[in-house]
Amino acid sequence: MNATMSSESVTTNELYSMLPPAVCEELKKHEQSMELPSGAPLIKHGVSPVGLLILNSGSVQISVPCPRRSISLTTAQKGKVFGMRPAIAGELPDVDVTCVENCKVTMVPRDAFLEVLQANPEIYIAVAKVLSGDLQIANRILRGSVRRYSAPRVRPQRPV
Amino acid sequence: MAMAYNFHIIENCLKCAFREQRLFCDLPNDALIKLQNIKATSVYPKGALLCLEGQPPRGIFVLCTGRAKLTTTSAEGKSIILRIAEPGEVLGLTAAVSNTPYEATIETLEPSQANFISQHDFVNFVKEHPDVGLKVARQLTHNCKCAYGEIRSIGLSNSVPEKIAKLVLRWSEQPLPRKNPQELPIRVTLTQEEIAQFVGTSRETVSRVLSEFRRRGWLRIKGATWTILNKHALEDLVTT
Repeated sequence: MNATMSSESVTTNELYSMLPPAVCEELKKHEQSMELPSGAPLIKHGVSPVGLLILNSGSVQISVPCPRRSISLTTAQKGKVFGMRPAIAGELPDVDVTCVENCKVTMVPRDAFLEVLQANPEIYIAVAKVLSGDLQIANRILRGSVRRYSAPRVRPQRPV
Repeated sequence: MAMAYNFHIIENCLKCAFREQRLFCDLPNDALIKLQNIKATSVYPKGALLCLEGQPPRGIFVLCTGRAKLTTTSAEGKSIILRIAEPGEVLGLTAAVSNTPYEATIETLEPSQANFISQHDFVNFVKEHPDVGLKVARQLTHNCKCAYGEIRSIGLSNSVPEKIAKLVLRWSEQPLPRKNPQELPIRVTLTQEEIAQFVGTSRETVSRVLSEFRRRGWLRIKGATWTILNKHALEDLVTT
């Protein structure tokens, strides 16, 4: 793993694109570049990642692991940020993220990210937007689940 | 203290008895003072719609009392219950933060109190108070965890009895006061149709499964009070 600055990550991912340039520069100081081969795990369910992981190139598969199989959620491409929930809330990952081709990744150590966040609390909105994106993916999967059934849609009442 | 629908309206967040127990509400005093200034308290009857799926975001709702269901609609027009929101939850968060339409219709399951904060005021509130930002992040993390749990449950559960048993066991984590130590009473305000939407089956199948649970002596149902008579039997049914 190289402790080099990764200019690729600036403004080209879903988090940095919402941050002021000065904050991006601050995060850049702590970035480390990684290259992962196809099939390598980026995030493992139940294992806390070392920090934020920003996908700079390549694509990954996101899945929910189950005892006998995995449920595939979606694939993600350049610009996707992983590890936000473990970093912010200390929760262990619920999903597996695996490289489906060779990937270039930038890592920002958790402590460094939290330091920048503490010094610039206005970026919590950007953090919330990234987390909202993850939730929207999950809800889309639930919506599309073919096992769900119900009565035909009833015309809703006017809101109170 | 004002009352409505047989519960006390919580007017002042600073004096709320549940403040420390709730994820979002446990904020420093200065943040709560600000919250007091930007929130609008409303009380809703059962069946009230707080927002509609697809509506442009107006703001968020902090559910103080009562419960609400979050439903969404598939392309075929089928209604799905994503989850049941409990007191203390912040609803409409994704829409307000991302400035995207509400992802779900939120309907109260019982008389409820909710504090509404406009999108503009809420975004500024998050930017000005880091503690609020952290709470928002944790609420979204919690919502994600619930969603992934549901996805896992859909993918794994093999039968409707197992899905219903799992649901009942989940509800039993918040039981009513017990008179008999051998019995575990819980309050269930969902209709059989809503349970069907939740587990992905028809109302008739839910009715049949519950009748079977009753016939086997595992469950007693009296109105909104269900009493689990044999928890081990339900647990044995859950294989995943």
